[in-house]
Amino acid sequence: MSGCDPHVGCITCGDVGVEMRVLGIEDDLALCETGGGEVRTVEIALVEPVDPGDRVLVHADVALARLP
Amino acid sequence: MRFVDEFRDGELGRAVAAQILAAVEPGRHYKVMEVCGGHTHSIYRYGIDDLLPENVELVHGPGCPVCVIPMGRVDDGIAIARQPGVIFTCFGDMLRVPGSHGTLLDAKAEGADIRMVYSPLDALRIARAEPHREVVFFAIGFETTAPSTALTLMRARAEGIRNFSCMCNHVTIVPPLRALLESPDLRLDGFIGPGHVSTVVGARPFEFIPADYGRPVVIAGFEPLDVLQAIHMILRQLAEGRCAVENQYTRVVSYEGNVRALQAMAEVFALRPHFEWRGLGFISQSALRLSDAYAELDAERRFPVPGVRVADPKACQCGEVLKGVIKPWECKVFGTACTPDHAIGTCMVSPEGACAAYYNYGRLTRERVSA
Repeated sequence: MSGCDPHVGCITCGDVGVEMRVLGIEDDLALCETGGGEVRTVEIALVEPVDPGDRVLVHADVALARLP
Repeated sequence: MRFVDEFRDGELGRAVAAQILAAVEPGRHYKVMEVCGGHTHSIYRYGIDDLLPENVELVHGPGCPVCVIPMGRVDDGIAIARQPGVIFTCFGDMLRVPGSHGTLLDAKAEGADIRMVYSPLDALRIARAEPHREVVFFAIGFETTAPSTALTLMRARAEGIRNFSCMCNHVTIVPPLRALLESPDLRLDGFIGPGHVSTVVGARPFEFIPADYGRPVVIAGFEPLDVLQAIHMILRQLAEGRCAVENQYTRVVSYEGNVRALQAMAEVFALRPHFEWRGLGFISQSALRLSDAYAELDAERRFPVPGVRVADPKACQCGEVLKGVIKPWECKVFGTACTPDHAIGTCMVSPEGACAAYYNYGRLTRERVSA
């Protein structure tokens, strides 16, 4: 997910949104996990409220949308 | 995985390709621009263009933020990075973009403290951990990335973190599209709209394309079936003689966008009167600076920057590639003097740049389906 692998791409340039699952909420941040098991701390101010188990679309550590 | 496996289904892909073939008028040539670099990458990664009829041409648009950064802005970034006590942070691709005297990576090799970060929040963490150093974040990206920068700056101000600042190079998608539509040397039949930019801005800002220019727009996701379906939706509009903004990416994009993200951006940013885009020249109101309320976090006010406009290298034809006037392989230095390891032009730097996509996936010759 991170970095700039030429076959995966850079998050910025690729306009990439990564689907992640919310593991838990800490203050106004959420611990989220990718399908590949990578865990990041994600800003959720733009999609609150979210609960553990919800799935969100994340770009540059910010959740931009809640997924159905 | 949900939303991935079903959008990479080969059987379905071939079925949509057959629908595309049925929708095209033999003898008519279609030019469809994918605005976003992420779509360019998907098209060549999955070989989507190989499934298209010969008379459907995909034109690669300007939606790659690294590709459109002019050399002068790289020079400005390097000037800040070389200031004593500065930790300069940016996304990975940006490190390899050439300025007039080398890249940020070259400046790092010469001793500047330049660090790759995954998000602006990572840069803010560095500022918290190193309170005696000045941490500068080099912000680039379209509206997908701008909310992340906005929220980080709001957090920095709320926490009173004084050793953090931002050199803002965020750009907006609508002005370059309008510039392309006004361009006399480019005739386009329709647009694949940018999926994740639209998550933030919504479908609404693209209404001017059908309204003012009579061209269809279909906002699309990034999986192969998303892109194929979007192409079919554009061709169907053309076959039916209509044009509208349609949304293929309904699982993520709404008509209004993310209102909270737009509010955060409106608070933190203001429009620059004009901004230079590589290959497209100066475009009015096409980029963001920090608003007056956030001026104290503006790295361009905190540090001296040269602010000199630098012309692109003569051999580089990124401008024509970015406007879709030539294909990457038609550039004089493509694959010879200019490669991803030693890029002359920005389109070869980022994996989403059209030149790098062609280079990485070997798209030099193509056999296409006959209409």
